[in-house]
Amino acid sequence: MDTSQYLGIFLDESREHIQALSDQMMILEQEPENQDAISEIFRAAHSLKGMAGTMGYKRLQHLTHVTEDCFSDIRSGSMAVTSELMDVLFQALDAIEGYINNIQESTDEGDDDNENIVNEINRIRNAATGKGDAPAAKAEDKPKDEEGDAPAEAGDDKALYRNMKLDESAVDVMSDAIDGGKHVYGFTVYIQESCLLKAARAFLVIKALEDMGEVIATDPSSQDIEDEKFDFSFSLFTICDNDIETAKAAIMSVSEIEDAVGEEFTSETIRTVGGASDEAKTEEAEETDDTEAVEKTAPAVKTETAPAAKAETSPAAKEAGNKPQAKKPVISKTIRVDIDKLDTLMNLVSELIIAKNTIVSAADGGESSSQTLNEQVEYLESVTTNLHEAVMKVRMVPIESAVNKFPRMVRDLEKKLDKKMQLTITGEETELDRTVVDEIGDPLMHLIRNSADHGLEHPDERAAKGKPEMGTIFLNAYQDGNSVIIEVGDDGKGIDVEAVRAKIVERGLASEDTAAQFTDKEVIDYLFDPGFSMAKKVTDISGRGVGLDVVKSNIESLGGDVSVKTKLGEGSTWIIRLPLTLAIIQALMVIIGEEKYAIPLDSIQTIENVASGDLKLVQGKEVIQLRGTVIPIVRMSNILGVESTHNDAEDMIVVIVKKGDSLAGLVVDELMGQQEVVIKSLGKYINTDRVISGATILGDGEVALIIDANALI
Amino acid sequence: MDELEKYVEDKATQFIVVNLGIEHYGIDIKYIDNIVKVPAIRRVPNIEDYFKGVINLRGEVIPVMDLRLRFTMEELDYTGKTRIIIVKLDPQAAIGLIVDEVEQVMDIYDSQIEKVSAEKKEETNGYITTVGKTDRGLVSILNLAAVIGEKEQVF
Repeated sequence: MDTSQYLGIFLDESREHIQALSDQMMILEQEPENQDAISEIFRAAHSLKGMAGTMGYKRLQHLTHVTEDCFSDIRSGSMAVTSELMDVLFQALDAIEGYINNIQESTDEGDDDNENIVNEINRIRNAATGKGDAPAAKAEDKPKDEEGDAPAEAGDDKALYRNMKLDESAVDVMSDAIDGGKHVYGFTVYIQESCLLKAARAFLVIKALEDMGEVIATDPSSQDIEDEKFDFSFSLFTICDNDIETAKAAIMSVSEIEDAVGEEFTSETIRTVGGASDEAKTEEAEETDDTEAVEKTAPAVKTETAPAAKAETSPAAKEAGNKPQAKKPVISKTIRVDIDKLDTLMNLVSELIIAKNTIVSAADGGESSSQTLNEQVEYLESVTTNLHEAVMKVRMVPIESAVNKFPRMVRDLEKKLDKKMQLTITGEETELDRTVVDEIGDPLMHLIRNSADHGLEHPDERAAKGKPEMGTIFLNAYQDGNSVIIEVGDDGKGIDVEAVRAKIVERGLASEDTAAQFTDKEVIDYLFDPGFSMAKKVTDISGRGVGLDVVKSNIESLGGDVSVKTKLGEGSTWIIRLPLTLAIIQALMVIIGEEKYAIPLDSIQTIENVASGDLKLVQGKEVIQLRGTVIPIVRMSNILGVESTHNDAEDMIVVIVKKGDSLAGLVVDELMGQQEVVIKSLGKYINTDRVISGATILGDGEVALIIDANALI
Repeated sequence: MDELEKYVEDKATQFIVVNLGIEHYGIDIKYIDNIVKVPAIRRVPNIEDYFKGVINLRGEVIPVMDLRLRFTMEELDYTGKTRIIIVKLDPQAAIGLIVDEVEQVMDIYDSQIEKVSAEKKEETNGYITTVGKTDRGLVSILNLAAVIGEKEQVF
């Protein structure tokens, strides 16, 4: 079978499954009893195995199969979750990822059998379960049970709802309803075997019952019904105001329904359904795990769309429905869009904006600026603005995909460094431009490794300092105006500014006297210099001095900046600021000499008129004093090598720009106004001194250059 | 027969022949995206002298280089004949080369192309590595990668 056309889908889905496995395995390691995590792992492993088999990747299939067996044992309780086991399972996961990477590169899985991992897993299994290879069939049968096929095969008894497994809360809801004078019915509905749209019929049945009351539980789960993962029958429990005949009539009124059998339950009989009471205890224990699991996977759960909740509308029903819902694959729904198409769309929008600017300048200039033209301009403006927003939104993705590998990384670092640490991530739903998200992973990884290696102390050291033994590394992302801030930090020892100062002198980067005069900030800035490492010994985690400068240059190439806050003994926080969008910005247009320049509005604080007399000289440099702050002045005409057209008798126009806490005043000759500009690169052939960050095309076709104010501060 | 064999064995490459003063230079046509008259050129501050700045070519910002300045020849005012050859070595990055005039499109056969001497190569900074000996005289074939490509890193 030619499967090449499915390769892309296979790769994408495999990666989703691997990520799900990794996430859930982390949860499992923390909460070995978490049944949901095991089920989720099992499902992901099973899908992966199936897909690998279909695509003909035998080694991948074999490895996932072995892993799946192992999870099967964990689920059945015949094997305990140990650190040793999880280590080897994580290795297996890495190996699986290795196969996927090979496949992506060469469509071939490679010829590494990973036998050592397979053997290791088998050894642990044998030791734990005291038996040989578990029959593969057993493992494969398991998921079917869950899909609810087994009860269907139970025999001639058509009242399959009696075998349904109800969880405690569902039973409680129903017995409360019965006590409250309502009726509870169990039904098993049979759909004609000729029916083509089983899911739709099932949905209509459920909807008909919902009109009369609430559907509390279904077997298979509502999601599986929706996905047509059932044969020709399904069972459900419903709370209903009407009598059973009316309910049954409502079911039978749906076409292509062959039969429906049902009976009314009392508050006693409901407890005997499917042996619910036997399981009550374990169910209860699971319930607490549930909520945690749900919380941890919150972003994914959140994206589950309305159809899943259709059958469970009231709060009570939702509570009851929680169980089957939590068992659904927690994979966020994604649309995969070819990035080339997006880029094309983006370019089109750029041109549209240029066209708009053309009309704007025509409307400004000509006498014939009739009302119609104005209306057209306004219309065009609103269209382009909307289009821009829409396209940018398509390009925006949550940073989740960049950060979701970190928990696993921290776990590995914990073992490697023999430190206790935990990673807390907030704001992973914060969205950034796709290109930024793709690029931001490495810098963040560097910072987390740094925190783990240099920041956090060893547990005994921490205990001696009166800190909790468990060190915390945090990653917080949030939106701040037109930027996104990502903070990475730890509660470790912080940066020893004096030690860095000493190192600067030691390395001959500054004389002792000069170094002594550096502010703390200036000292810390040295950490971003290429080749400057504070590590006493080079480890394979960090210390080669190629970390922070790479972080800084990576982030700057994305148009962002990075700074650090630190307190000795309490930890440090690296603050990364990234632009929300890349290609289109609001800018202040100015004239310097006779040339037009754009200054990004983001970096502008205020615009001031300053009389020449207010200029002061401090250490030979021009400054102004503005509301108590001394601000250095940059004469743009000098920087850009043009003749200023400014007349000294008049007030100077000073654009105050900011970068972090620092300010500078840029002297320009004339202000033109605010404009939305499309950033164009100057191309790779021109080497500018960082002052010019790009160009843009104005309405009349003229090219204006964009000033990077950050480079001037 | 000779003529036919020549066609079969000897591959011809099409070049655009441009002039700088009295000298003829050939640019392989496969790298040429467009030839345009000189539009308004926007000066870019603090860049190498031989770059005149950037132009707007149908919504794209493209850097332009004056070939006379690149070859340390005397700078001339642009005339009605002055053209910018838009060249793309890399599909993502276009660059414009300003020349005095475009003369013609010419087929130059492999047999007509000779390597230049090492001294000549040195003299031209590697901009010229081959010369086409044609009926109409010598055509220096531009080594575009050297002319526009990875610049000398100045530190």
